[in-house]
Amino acid sequence: MEEAQVVAQLVRRCASGDAAAWEEIVQRFHRRIYNICYRFAGSADDAQDLTQEVFIKVYRTVSSFDGKKASFSTWVTTVTRNLLVDHFRKTRNDRSTDSIDAVQGADDDGPTLADRLASDAPSQQVHVESRERQEMVHRALQQISPDLREAVILRDLQDMDYREIAQVLKVPEGTVKSRINRGRAELARLLQRTYRQAL
Amino acid sequence: MLGETKSGMQCMEFDALLTEAIDGTLNGERRERFERHQAGCPACSTLFAEVSSGMAWLDEVEDVQPPHTLVHNILAATSGADQAAARANAGPSAWERLRRQVRMALAPVLTPRFGMSMGMAFFSITLVLNMAQIRITDLTPSNLSHTFYSSQNKFEMKFMRYYENMRLVYEIESRVRDLRNATDESERQEKNRHREKNNNQTQEQNQNSEPDRRQHREFTCGQNPQWLALLNGIEPHLDMCPRDLAKQRREI
Repeated sequence: MEEAQVVAQLVRRCASGDAAAWEEIVQRFHRRIYNICYRFAGSADDAQDLTQEVFIKVYRTVSSFDGKKASFSTWVTTVTRNLLVDHFRKTRNDRSTDSIDAVQGADDDGPTLADRLASDAPSQQVHVESRERQEMVHRALQQISPDLREAVILRDLQDMDYREIAQVLKVPEGTVKSRINRGRAELARLLQRTYRQAL
Repeated sequence: MLGETKSGMQCMEFDALLTEAIDGTLNGERRERFERHQAGCPACSTLFAEVSSGMAWLDEVEDVQPPHTLVHNILAATSGADQAAARANAGPSAWERLRRQVRMALAPVLTPRFGMSMGMAFFSITLVLNMAQIRITDLTPSNLSHTFYSSQNKFEMKFMRYYENMRLVYEIESRVRDLRNATDESERQEKNRHREKNNNQTQEQNQNSEPDRRQHREFTCGQNPQWLALLNGIEPHLDMCPRDLAKQRREI
């Protein structure tokens, strides 16, 4: 609660033009926003650009922030999520994010996306380092649906509660929980297949 | 499958309670029914396992470190851009305006060509001052006035000395001339007496001497006795003969 009060005071000072308050806000939130952008976009360069865009938008609209409706953290996360969705729509043609269980093409018996993504390299290492495991999870996150991805990122990587996620995503809490579970399940399936391939 | 009831719970309800069960907030009778359904429904059991596995994978993921320039870039794009815009809107400060005016006034001078000329001039002046052994400290107003007045005094003294010397010289010359004139006068008088005496003697002798020598003498005395006298500084007499002139010259 004390943290929330400090942030609220910083936001009031920032809205009145205090540059030092704005710098403090950037210092407090830039790491979290960067991680959300990185996990969603998958690229460090995109994450850096998106983070700057988030803070530019926050800086321009900070005077319109209403602390009664939501916390500043929730509001910043909402701005981040909206920019990520816009970014995703602009770059939709550069990626394929259908469910990994969806069959490509009209043939129901054809290979799934997971099958096609599985590595055939015979020189896979048996024991994968922690960093490599994290990289695997990161790559797998890019393969699941963006709706499920954002829910999983906000819950499991950013430790937001369901109410806040519902405010950010503008969906009911039940939908949020359902998306989170489905996202986890899809991620697990993809990683299990990849890990078995590695073994 | 979702509408199927197993152990008193539908799969749809199981799906709804899945998050609470994973989070560990499902308690009491609902948890018992949930666990019974999970044990009896393969699909829901598989779903529960996958969701748990996914959570376990995600728990291994750590935060990544953002680039160290990120904060700087954000501030530059936000508050830094604002400050630059404010400076641009405010217009140039008084110092900027003054600098601009000075730059405009000195624009014809601040050219490479002028700079090179000034450099050469400075070098030449420095060389001349160095050769003349004039130091920069000598060029201050106080030193300049002191040098001017001391030089003026020296010149006046020199002139006065020269004038005094010249006067002394003139005085000495005039005294010498006077002395010489006085000496000449007395000598002349002496000589005149002596000559008269000689003339008397000569006349007495000439009464018995050869007339040719006299003629000769007269002939010769008639030729340029004056210039001989002038050469020797003696006032010439028209009737003086060269022998007498030579004699007088020896006496002088």
